[in-house]
Amino acid sequence: MTNCRALSIPVILGTTRKGRMSAHAARFMIRQIEKRPDISTELIDLSELPMPIDDAGEEIKDGAFSNKMTLADALVIVTPEYNHSFPGLLKHILDSCLKEYIHKAAGIVGVSAGPFGGVRAIQDFLPVIRELGLVNIFWDVNFGNVASMFDETGKLLDQAFVKRADKFLDELVWMAKTLRYGRENIALE
Amino acid sequence: MPNKLTCPKCGSEMNHHADKLIYPSEKLQTMAIDPALDGLIEETHACPGCGAVASRRAQ
Repeated sequence: MTNCRALSIPVILGTTRKGRMSAHAARFMIRQIEKRPDISTELIDLSELPMPIDDAGEEIKDGAFSNKMTLADALVIVTPEYNHSFPGLLKHILDSCLKEYIHKAAGIVGVSAGPFGGVRAIQDFLPVIRELGLVNIFWDVNFGNVASMFDETGKLLDQAFVKRADKFLDELVWMAKTLRYGRENIALE
Repeated sequence: MPNKLTCPKCGSEMNHHADKLIYPSEKLQTMAIDPALDGLIEETHACPGCGAVASRRAQ
């Protein structure tokens, strides 16, 4: 490696809906990342971002969000499944940047009230991730039946997710390190 | 080979690591479309010193 900057892996909470259970999943992922040395993380809550709807794309780029995406080496994107897909506002905000994402890693955490853990939202999301220039890993975390996965304080009730999140993060960190090396050292021919 | 970009944050020489095909909608930009690609190339550069990213339209 050419430098020893800590990896930056923010967690994007991809819904603004009141009572969203995805917030518990996002905070759980933050706690798992914080256990790892040399990685900085933070929660990026869609509901706290300025989100004009009278325009779209890079015309609505928010400086603070853009800076966070520039600093990021990888993204954990927590998305609920609404009507078999991911939230439109999540795409709206992701579409506001481009160069900030290119050749960076992405991992998706799916959340659903039903049993499938957001798999349909994730499948819909993959072509978007690809077109944004992000590199998706092959591990997901799937919180199905999410109402029974966390108590009202956000405490995880099924410890199997600790190991699942760990495997997801192992792969994401490897991809983040590899892509950082590539971005900074390997020139396009 | 076009000139290397200099990092606006730390002054290091940046690494050109990607060419992204974009599809402009503004009239002035559509006039510059490469007919072989049906779009424009936006170069992406990263700084090995501080991690900053930058882009520019391909020369």
